Amino acid sequence: MGGADRSERKRNQAASQARLKAAGITPKRSGLSGTPLVLTIVAVVVIAAIVVGVVVTMKNKAAEAAGPAPNYPVSRAGAVITAGQAAAPVTVDIYEDYLCPYCERLESTYKDQITTALNAGQIKVNYHAISILDNASKPAGYSTRAANAAICAADAGIFPAYHAALYADQPAEGSAGFSVQQLSDKGTALGAPASFGQCVAAQGDTNLIEQATNTAAATPALQSNGQFGTPTVAIGGRKIDVNDSQWLQNALKS
Amino acid sequence: MLDGIGTLARLGLAAVWLTSGLLKAVDPAQTYVAVRAYDVLSKDVVGVVAGVLPWLEIALGLLLLVGIGTRAVAVLSGLLLLAFVAGVSQAWARGLSIDCGCFGGGGAVAPGQTQYLQEILRDAGFLALAVWLTVRPRTLFAGEHRLVASAVPERRGA
Repeated sequence: MGGADRSERKRNQAASQARLKAAGITPKRSGLSGTPLVLTIVAVVVIAAIVVGVVVTMKNKAAEAAGPAPNYPVSRAGAVITAGQAAAPVTVDIYEDYLCPYCERLESTYKDQITTALNAGQIKVNYHAISILDNASKPAGYSTRAANAAICAADAGIFPAYHAALYADQPAEGSAGFSVQQLSDKGTALGAPASFGQCVAAQGDTNLIEQATNTAAATPALQSNGQFGTPTVAIGGRKIDVNDSQWLQNALKS
Repeated sequence: MLDGIGTLARLGLAAVWLTSGLLKAVDPAQTYVAVRAYDVLSKDVVGVVAGVLPWLEIALGLLLLVGIGTRAVAVLSGLLLLAFVAGVSQAWARGLSIDCGCFGGGGAVAPGQTQYLQEILRDAGFLALAVWLTVRPRTLFAGEHRLVASAVPERRGA
């Protein structure tokens, strides 16, 4: 458009603004998004969302830090580590891989509920260390290495704390994972005897772990859509859905 | 005409945020694993980001849906999308094998299963919507017009 057009439009605009002003009307600005009321609403909604997220996260974390101390017996048969009293009425089977991030979530989310139920003699838990993610560490083999160490920890009498420690700073998939030395040091820090380090270094239960992994993976009752994965939790031999946050409470009721 | 395009952009971006936010909100464990898989943040920060992200996305989606503060929300959306693109790009550059977890899912995948290019292009498309709304936030049926319009007549007859 030409300059004359533009200046005429400007004049018209100014004239209409003046008329509106005379009538006591504040004209709408074209940038409505920038008015203080609108920006305040945006800020309130966005900050509310952030606060909700932070508060929920902090609450979960605080609850985790104040969790109950483990006070239950631990025994071992082959590659299966059993926590809790043998006479407990409900048997929970947990199939886990120490490199599996969802297993870390399971531990982090339900550790306190499980510990409380174990302490009270309501459940016993069979921990099956599975090595399906051996190829997800570089170099391969962390799952088996950690599973061996967990078995050593059961024999050394430090399993509950060691199990928690393996997840507390779980290595990422694609990383090397903890070395034999690091796995050994973790046990020593928790008061394991010198024989623990030798046991970890020997990696003597690799065959047992592999067999247990193959057996679990081939058990139809532990599969979803024909696939076995970790974590898998079974109660009375039947796989349950751990996305249902009430799974343990429901098992205790029945 | 341009208002119509803007309206589609606003509602489209709203649908994106509401879908991605709700999918993340219903599966907190999955969201945590997805955020952690980028391997950028410390454990504590991963927890906070995974806790906040779903609700932030839902908030942006609701504001766009209603049409309040479209420009400001579009700017925030653009910044968040740029952060996502940066996250995916660094994962790609470092040779990680992860799913972006943009719409649920996420975490490690087999090395041949990554889709970084598609994920970045998709985010670029969403970014285009955010840029449009930042440059030209006027849309039809936006709540902010009603808010401001109703605020104006009060001065009448003063």
